[in-house]
Amino acid sequence: MSSSSQDRRGRISIAGVRKSYTRGTEEVTVLSGVDLEIEAGRVVALMGPSGSGKSTLLNLIGGLDVADEGRITVDDTVITALRADELAAWRSRHVGFVFQSFNLIPVLTAQENVELPLLLQPLSKAQRKEQARYALEIVGLADRAGHRPGQLSGGQEQRVAIARAIASDPTLILADEPTGDLDRTNADAVLQMLRRLADELGKTVLMVTHDNAASAFAHQTVHLDKGALAGVAHA
Amino acid sequence: MSLFTLLRRNLLRHKLRNALTALAVAVALFLFCFLYSVITTLKSAVTSSSADRVVVQSAVSLFMDLPKTYTAKLADVEGVESVARWNWFGGVYRDPSNFFAQFAVDPEIFLAQFKECVITPEERAAWLADRRGCLIGRALARKFGWKIGDTIPLIGTIYTRPEGAAWEFTVRGIYSSSKTNLDESTLWFQYEFLDESIVNGGVQGPKGVGVFYVKTKPGTSLAEITQRIDARFEGDEQRTLTQTEAAFQAGFITMLGSVPAFLSGIGGAVLFAILFSVVNTMMITSRERTKELGVLQALGFRRAIGARLLLFESMLLCGLGGLAGLALGASTEGTFREMFGTQIPGYTVEPLTLVIGVAIALAVGAAGGLFPALQARGLRVADALRAEA
Repeated sequence: MSSSSQDRRGRISIAGVRKSYTRGTEEVTVLSGVDLEIEAGRVVALMGPSGSGKSTLLNLIGGLDVADEGRITVDDTVITALRADELAAWRSRHVGFVFQSFNLIPVLTAQENVELPLLLQPLSKAQRKEQARYALEIVGLADRAGHRPGQLSGGQEQRVAIARAIASDPTLILADEPTGDLDRTNADAVLQMLRRLADELGKTVLMVTHDNAASAFAHQTVHLDKGALAGVAHA
Repeated sequence: MSLFTLLRRNLLRHKLRNALTALAVAVALFLFCFLYSVITTLKSAVTSSSADRVVVQSAVSLFMDLPKTYTAKLADVEGVESVARWNWFGGVYRDPSNFFAQFAVDPEIFLAQFKECVITPEERAAWLADRRGCLIGRALARKFGWKIGDTIPLIGTIYTRPEGAAWEFTVRGIYSSSKTNLDESTLWFQYEFLDESIVNGGVQGPKGVGVFYVKTKPGTSLAEITQRIDARFEGDEQRTLTQTEAAFQAGFITMLGSVPAFLSGIGGAVLFAILFSVVNTMMITSRERTKELGVLQALGFRRAIGARLLLFESMLLCGLGGLAGLALGASTEGTFREMFGTQIPGYTVEPLTLVIGVAIALAVGAAGGLFPALQARGLRVADALRAEA
């Protein structure tokens, strides 16, 4: 689950990306030609007012949505050229998601939730168990492996979600408002953890956030406004 | 941990809701099992009929007697081995609701023709020796608690005794049946006793013979002998209608009119109603899980996986409910055989009925889960993740 500085992967290149939605009879432009380069192994905070296109850009990078125009490349893969099933397969190998409301499966234990994405990997049952256990250890929740989400605090649930995101050793960690449902203490713990994933494991972490404190944990802060890049700040 | 773990846990997620749906399926499949078994039981009397017996009745109607003189004339027809006289007695034991079939027959010939009627040599000898003796089926004996030596009083409705006095028959044997064409709920007594009572005992009633059961000689074509018999009586006192035993039994099912179709209709309607209940349950389930389906897609599972999980969950739910209903149907076979022994003699739940039942339960599950599964398959992951839990 580690990576040396030479073979770091997770470089993202975004060129001329446009995305619009039809709402009723009206066409709403969400992204109007975004160009952005993100270095591998960095923590990047995507900030901006509501409706600025942050989550849409994150979804496009993660292959959850499809751009109308433009090109998104992650390392050597042009993901805007992939079909739905190819995107799903690519996501399973290269992307880990962390959501604001954690989105753990309530009927599965923490261990099982973390094992879930590993079902898509060519691993034995024992290997899956071991890898999930290791991911839970990284987030400090090995002792809660048998607990279901309902038996965990919000902060613990988000740490399980992070463990699930890193379990299959992806290149990218995409987090949509990861601290939105957490108090300050837990939010800071989660942000520190995301930073560690970049610093110690070489993951590229992109997080959409309204939390100004988040930029303190990021290497780079990208500001979006009205669907366009408004500025990039480096720590 | 596997996707089956998720499937299993999801099934237990809303225990009450799913239990009620499974219960509805169980009740429907139990009803199917019962109704279908009634139909197969009625039909099995036809399919297990003898291949060397034909039945001769009046060409006018089954309710019109044939002359007694036909006994000897039939015996002379080429290919006939033996002829037994059968008369429907129609007596009432205490109350008309205690209905069961009673026939006056030629005992020796009857026993020779119906090898499926199993009794001990002692019982056989006792029945043949006693003019007022009777043979009763095992189910009938169990139902009324009769045993050998008991006297069964019957009030004649077709054959009435002077001043409405009861006929009395002594139980000389209790038979079991080795084939489903012969039920175990009938009382047989000697034809000669009935005939003597009419001739000398002041009994009022038809003086002829209801039907003749004819056993054919080995190698005789049933098609040919039925034509030969009917041709023999073409210009006689009464024309005859001769049928194979299977056709004769099938005629009784035809007499029930559309009862089998009616029973099928009821069963089909219930299953159709249950289908909507399953669709409703699975639609609610699908709506509740929209976000989770989005999460699965985000993790890299193809859209079809989420759809299949819903489909299999529906099939598992209905399969389990169906198995419970069919298990109940199979386990109550004996109870229903007792309960409806005289109306549906030999009530049997065939293994094929259970197999069809399982297939129906799974089909209802598949049909019920199909629409929610198709909806899940059409979900865009970004939209699914935005859905409210």
